[in-house]
Amino acid sequence: MAGDTVIETRALSKIYRDFWGRPKVRALKALDLEIKQGEVFGLLGPNGSGKTTTIKLLLGLLFPTDGQALVFGKDATDVSKNERIGYLPEESYLYRFLNAEETLDFYGRLFDIRHDVLKQRIDDLIKMVGLDRARKRQLKEYSKGMTRRIGLAQALINEPDLILLDEPTSGLDPIGTREMKDMILRLRSEGKTIVMCSHLLADVQDVCDRIAILHQGELKELGRVDTLLTVADVTQIRAKRLNPDCQNEIRQVIERHHGELVSIEHPTTTLEELFLSIVRDSEARPGRRAVAAAEPAAPPS
Amino acid sequence: MVLEKEVLPYLTWLMGGSGTELGTLYRFLIIAAMLAVLALLIGFLTALLRYGPLKAGDLTYRVLVNGFSELAQVSPRRVWALARLAVKESIRRRVVVVLVVFAMILLFASWFLQTGYRDPGKLFFSFVLTATTYLVLFISLLISALSLPQDFKSKTIHTVMTKPVRAGEIVLGRILGFTIVGTVLLAIMAIGSYLFVVRTLYHTHAVEVANLESINDADGNVIGKKGHTTSSQSHRHEIEVDAEGNGVALSANGHDHEITAGQHGGEMAYEVGGPRGLMRARMPHYGKLRFLDRKGVDVARGISVGSEWTYRSFIEGGTSAAAIWTFDGIDDSTLRRADDGDGQYLPLELIVRVFRSYTGNIDRGIQGSVQLRNPDKPDIKTDLETFTAKDDSINDINLSRKLYDPQQKPIDLLEDLVSEDGRLDVIVQCLDRSQYFGFAQADAYLRKPDGSPWVNFVKAFLSIWVQMLLVIAIGVTCSTVVNGPVAVMFTVAFIALGFFKEFFVNVATGKQVGGGPLESLVRLVTQKNQTTGLDEDNLSVQLMHAVDKFFETAMRSLAYVLPDFRSLSTVDYVAYGFNIPPSKVYQDLTVGLAYLAGLLVIGYFLLRTREVAK
Repeated sequence: MAGDTVIETRALSKIYRDFWGRPKVRALKALDLEIKQGEVFGLLGPNGSGKTTTIKLLLGLLFPTDGQALVFGKDATDVSKNERIGYLPEESYLYRFLNAEETLDFYGRLFDIRHDVLKQRIDDLIKMVGLDRARKRQLKEYSKGMTRRIGLAQALINEPDLILLDEPTSGLDPIGTREMKDMILRLRSEGKTIVMCSHLLADVQDVCDRIAILHQGELKELGRVDTLLTVADVTQIRAKRLNPDCQNEIRQVIERHHGELVSIEHPTTTLEELFLSIVRDSEARPGRRAVAAAEPAAPPS
Repeated sequence: MVLEKEVLPYLTWLMGGSGTELGTLYRFLIIAAMLAVLALLIGFLTALLRYGPLKAGDLTYRVLVNGFSELAQVSPRRVWALARLAVKESIRRRVVVVLVVFAMILLFASWFLQTGYRDPGKLFFSFVLTATTYLVLFISLLISALSLPQDFKSKTIHTVMTKPVRAGEIVLGRILGFTIVGTVLLAIMAIGSYLFVVRTLYHTHAVEVANLESINDADGNVIGKKGHTTSSQSHRHEIEVDAEGNGVALSANGHDHEITAGQHGGEMAYEVGGPRGLMRARMPHYGKLRFLDRKGVDVARGISVGSEWTYRSFIEGGTSAAAIWTFDGIDDSTLRRADDGDGQYLPLELIVRVFRSYTGNIDRGIQGSVQLRNPDKPDIKTDLETFTAKDDSINDINLSRKLYDPQQKPIDLLEDLVSEDGRLDVIVQCLDRSQYFGFAQADAYLRKPDGSPWVNFVKAFLSIWVQMLLVIAIGVTCSTVVNGPVAVMFTVAFIALGFFKEFFVNVATGKQVGGGPLESLVRLVTQKNQTTGLDEDNLSVQLMHAVDKFFETAMRSLAYVLPDFRSLSTVDYVAYGFNIPPSKVYQDLTVGLAYLAGLLVIGYFLLRTREVAK
């Protein structure tokens, strides 16, 4: 997975100043990061921790107070790096007087894409994000979720190698959220690099290879998600169809080896899984009252 | 006829003439270089305060080098995409409402403008062109200055700036898009204006047959008839028709009509056509003017009669005072052949400002004389040709090629009066004692065949277009750095100062009576009039002058870059029926492009150095 370095920041700092140039907020303090090609990298942190600032510095929308941000080996303020970048902002900042087709056509024309290729790509993207029926409607008539979808489509119009997603799942319903996560994983499988920032930890956990946790502008943790989340002194055993005798036997084995039993219980599924299974079921058998028929889905693997 | 400023030939204007005056191109380059140095200095100092000397130097160098390489990388495809966006934005924001406003203005105008005015063409064209100018400038101001700030506010600029778009392309795309919108609006208004004027002023008359008088030749044969038409739009025309009944309703209210004979119920009937000549494009051939004072001595200017407007100076009647125009390039082609094919004549037109020092007989016009003279042989001149001056309007004085000298010996205009190098003196005098004629150089001209009034109308709209382009470029450039209302204010300030540039420069250079800005304010508050002396020994007055000196220096610097909107306007040419010289059109277009180039570079650097997401 690890390949060429796509993003590199060296002691990247950002201080917001007031009108008179006096420092107001230290939004980012000496951030050192290196993101390789093909990674899904998550920036985590509470509100105001510097996630969005980092993304904007990487995009050249903000200028660093100190340090340097390199994207594809070029300075982040170099416009030509944008040829290979796709960006989905926190809220889809799009022209509300354009319709979906016009939006993608406009952003597509800002790249060096042949006209017929662009036309085909617009069509594919609109279908991919599920806006085929709303393609001629102006964005001001769109719901928030639809706006996010068209926002994602515009971020992918140039088939970017690096995709920066700012709160990608905000405003999406659970289906949209799942689709977004699936999309991120699919893009990774195509060898794209993805940097996302979010405060929805579950989303990050589901898709990210590596994460950085920021707090008050400082890097607090950096590493692989699986490594970071592994609780080294706890072992989890999951099994199906254990009868009470078997469970007792396991307890005894643990005791014999001086282990400490934390819990033996039936796992619950996540609400997300429950919701998705109900919706799937409802779509398969329309008209039926879904709640009564809902069964707990298999726990997430 | 307020065509005060002489229009220099394009190349002389651009590169400079033989005089000391520097060509516009060189002045542009010098100002551009000064601005560049100034901007570099300000940029460096700002960075210095913020980041220290090393990084400041590095940043300045990088901005400069990257800037010019990015400006060179402007892609027509992206500019066009951004221009299309600007067009769509304008349309979806209902910019076409301006056409409704325009239509309403025309509706009101048709109520309030009088068709019976002495020269209704002048009034109407002046009105529609001025109204169009202000309306187009206003809408250009709004669409250009509010668009980018709206993008910043809604953060749509984030999505655009994260595409491979150069800041210069955003500025240029916006300017191009809004210019396209403005051009379409302007074209519609041009057609609307033209139709409005022509249809409102369209009228015919009938011939008052009962009052026609016969014109007989020496043998008593009827060779034609004369009389007048009925009244329409508060005027009537004298008419002259030939024996067949064809002729013309002579010029009145700035136009004439063609009269054709027809049969109606077995009797001869006259049919009067629509108005001709409401819209003209006179092509003047100007000469150089000098004056003689009352004793006949050469002077640069005539005398002042106390008018505040010093454009014209005056000659006294009944003395040796004269205004002398020297025309060059006179040859056979300057003369016109008379309509009846009977000989050639010199088509001289003269605009006279009459100043009466006593009323006299108000019904009787002031008499003047025109005399032609050979510039190299002053003894060869014609007898005085007298005329009755029509104040503030064009006096047609057609001088036949066959003339007489004061001794009544026949002389030929071309062979005797024109010098070998093609020059001719035209001497104009006022004959009535103690009355005055006022002249400026452009008041006498030899009329060449008229240009196309249509083309002239289009040229006038081209000059409105240049003004629109300037407003859009200024609006977009301002909006790269400040928010909407402030950008509007900046642009309005630019336009307002541009319209009053002459006054502004006079204040800046201390020529304006009443002092600089602070002194004017003090005079205003203390109710001292402009000419009241101030106590120069007083410390506060000295302080006030020192502050004004500072203001005046700043204003002088600003005056270098202010566009002169008034000189860009060609409304008067069309209103008064003069051809807009091609040189003037090229100059205006060049000025427009020069400002566009300068503002584009400024806009690029302002947007490029702005933190978009701040």
